Amino acid sequence: MLQVEHLRVQYGALAAVNDLSFSVSEGQWLMIVGPNGAGKSTILNAISQGVPYTGTIRYEGEDLKKTDAATRARRIGMLSQNHYVGYAFSVEEVVRLGRYAHRSRLFSVHKEEDEAAVEEALECTGLKDLRRQSVLTLSGGELQRTFLAQVFAQSPQLLLLDEPTNHLDLVYQKQIFALISEWLKTPGRAVVSVVHDLSLARAYGTQILLLHHGKPAAFGDTRDVMRPEVLNAVYDMDVAAWMRSMLSQWQPETE
Amino acid sequence: MKKTMQWLAVLAAAILMLAAFGCSTKPAPVSETTPAPEQPTAAPAEPTPEPAQDTTVTVVDMVGHTVTLEKPAERIVALTASDCEIIYALGAGDLLVGRGEWCDYPAEVFNVTSVESGGNTNIEQILALDPDVLVMSTMAQTEEQVKQLEDAGVAVVVNDAKDIAGVYTSIEILGKLLGKDAEAAAIIDGMKTAFAEIEANKLDGTKTVYFEVSPLEWGLWTAGAGTFMNEVAEMVGLKNCFADLEGWAQISEEQVIERNPDYIVTITMYLGEGPKPEEEIMARPGWEDVTAVKNAAILNLPNNELSRPIPRLADGAKMLFDFVMEIEEALALEPAA
Amino acid sequence: MKRIGEHFQGWMYALFALVTLCVFFACVCLGSVSIPLRNTVRVIFDEVRGVPSDTALRLARSVIVPVRLPRVLCVALAGSSLALAGAAMQGLLKNPLADGSTLGVSSGASLGAVIAIAFGITFPKLPFAGTMVMAILFALLSLLIILGLAYRLDCSLSTNTIILIGVIFSMFASSVMSIIITFASEHIKSITFWTMGSLQGASYRNAAVLAATLLVCGTVLLLHARELNAFAVGEDNAREIGVNVRRVRLVVLITVSCLIGVCVSIGGTIGFVGLVTPHMVRMIVGPNHKRLLPASMFSGAVFLMLADLVARTLLNPRELPIGVVTSIVGAAVFVLIYYRSRRR
Repeated sequence: MLQVEHLRVQYGALAAVNDLSFSVSEGQWLMIVGPNGAGKSTILNAISQGVPYTGTIRYEGEDLKKTDAATRARRIGMLSQNHYVGYAFSVEEVVRLGRYAHRSRLFSVHKEEDEAAVEEALECTGLKDLRRQSVLTLSGGELQRTFLAQVFAQSPQLLLLDEPTNHLDLVYQKQIFALISEWLKTPGRAVVSVVHDLSLARAYGTQILLLHHGKPAAFGDTRDVMRPEVLNAVYDMDVAAWMRSMLSQWQPETE
Repeated sequence: MKKTMQWLAVLAAAILMLAAFGCSTKPAPVSETTPAPEQPTAAPAEPTPEPAQDTTVTVVDMVGHTVTLEKPAERIVALTASDCEIIYALGAGDLLVGRGEWCDYPAEVFNVTSVESGGNTNIEQILALDPDVLVMSTMAQTEEQVKQLEDAGVAVVVNDAKDIAGVYTSIEILGKLLGKDAEAAAIIDGMKTAFAEIEANKLDGTKTVYFEVSPLEWGLWTAGAGTFMNEVAEMVGLKNCFADLEGWAQISEEQVIERNPDYIVTITMYLGEGPKPEEEIMARPGWEDVTAVKNAAILNLPNNELSRPIPRLADGAKMLFDFVMEIEEALALEPAA
Repeated sequence: MKRIGEHFQGWMYALFALVTLCVFFACVCLGSVSIPLRNTVRVIFDEVRGVPSDTALRLARSVIVPVRLPRVLCVALAGSSLALAGAAMQGLLKNPLADGSTLGVSSGASLGAVIAIAFGITFPKLPFAGTMVMAILFALLSLLIILGLAYRLDCSLSTNTIILIGVIFSMFASSVMSIIITFASEHIKSITFWTMGSLQGASYRNAAVLAATLLVCGTVLLLHARELNAFAVGEDNAREIGVNVRRVRLVVLITVSCLIGVCVSIGGTIGFVGLVTPHMVRMIVGPNHKRLLPASMFSGAVFLMLADLVARTLLNPRELPIGVVTSIVGAAVFVLIYYRSRRR
């Protein structure tokens, strides 16, 4: 579905991503993990054509550089990390913007389809009651869900998520990951997401791309990559031991 | 304000006295190329001999400030266009060593070094010219700047004529400062004669005039009461139709049409392209019924003849008078409608 | 499911149009010279039917038809254009303080016009086109410079950066103007007056130029209402949902430059209209550009017509420069809005 070949992104003298190749197929959830500054978000930005890059990124064999913005947006949806809206748009207005790529300039030919997509997106993110509310008054979680609804309304086949649960409390973390797993169940879809939390990556990801200083340290099925020797080398610590010690805090006897 | 002025005057007088006693006169004529000293030259070692006769010049300027010079000024800087013009009219153009940047008459003035004036006045530029006297108008310059000049030995004279009588005073002051009293008197006499001649034949004051200071394109401005134009209009026997306004004022185009002046005087300069100012007024939509437009009674006086306190005010008044007389004669010949 | 907003839209436009018409009519009837309402109406009707008016109505005709009517028309169209340009820029840059005057685009346009006057750039048979084309070009050039600099300094185009660069650019433009004024001495007068700007002496031809510009640019911007919404939510977001960010940005900037350039070349710089009007309108109709753009056009016209009415009548028979009135009213309203938004 998505093939990335020899991707290189340069920020000034620094190569944020260097000679990276990977691919994503239908039904997969690729988790991009790695320490801070490994170039995780940069990959997503390159796929969504937000940063200049060399190498090729193909979607269904078509070079994304040569695809026009609307066509790209109908196939690939991206949820970025930070949302700051300057004006008091309503939740519904922001979600409706997701339909942009599906509508022709002058006539809304697919009006029913658009309405249905917006309603469905609002429904599954639980925003129906907030639809008229101004986005300026939303909590962080509500805002994140609003933009998730926007990207759902966009009806893409490939979803790019940059730290989808960053700054969100556990309830929303659980909610959002559940939502995305649900979304992925429809055939023909795939997800690429950047996460910090290795436990989440392990729990939800089908594939893992482990990055280190802009280079792939490992790429493959979750259980192949999530091996102690691989992780420990990249993070320069005993990852599994730390995770276990964290979890041990939650032993039943400590109730 | 008044107090400060008095204080300044006292201070200036004190400085001048010190200069008179301590420094004696300035060293002999400074050549044009000599770079000016930052500070006034200190007392020379040997005292210069007492001058043979009393050449001291004392004037009271137009803010009541008394200025005394050892002898008539030999180097003068004038910041306003009107003072430059008066200096040339006095035949003292060769004494003008610096002029304000907006001075533009007569053409010779452009050969004189230009200095910044008004709010941008630059004391160093002025001191570099090593003048005896600086002439300026009311306090666009700060008191500190005046003090700096006076400290540096430059006498500061303020000329600020508000009416024709004031123009006479400023001509007198400049005449005295430059040792051209006779010339000054001649100019004033000439002006008085010209004005008297006009007044003797003036109209009865029933006809109106509208002075256009800025054309329609940039927004109409006119000259109301308390301006030279208003004074000249009265002299010619015309009624300024905006005499209800004080000074220069931006006005509505509608008002001009309603007030329907018999004469229009525009001071817009013709830049050599497009219609001439008087043609442009004639062609304005909605002005067809204005009497001045119907009679083509529009005069263009583009060279500041009526807007500056200068000897040429007499010429401007004469031009207006002759123009009005010509139109009146032509109208008298036409059978009344 | 129908949205309330869509019902709202219909009667809202009717209301805006009605208010605009009423204000337009009031501004034609009121002025420095008072003319009875009856006569005003008769003179206009006579003119429309092509019948010469009574001799008793000559003054009324001379004042209303060639002077007041074209002026009010120009004022309305200029207000509309400036408010539209302001609204579009505030959306594009996601910055409620963006406007021709705060960004220094108006100064840039003035500089262009001053250059045209000083160097006598004219097109044969089109006496006004020289200043206008130069004003438009320089408006666009200034926008590109300002935004280029802002992107360089601060990728997120924050309010502070933009306003700071705008102020610096305005100062730069006026310094260049001063230099030109110093060297172009025989044109000094017209240039110094030009920078003040005036809608006095506005003609029907000016109104036609403004109307044509507004029609074209208004159409272009209205067709980009959804893209502007996307930019107002965020430029990255716009790209992600499939907006051709570069193309839309260029189109909007060119359109805005045309609007500001034409207004500046006809009426000089009139500040605050493009800043305050969309602000107030946003409080009524919300930030959606589908409603914001047309509503700003109506409100801009109303605001500037009222400001001009004050300028024409407050100190009768004197007249105030219209920019003075808009700045006083604009600054007051702006502070009020800012205060209220901070308190919320």
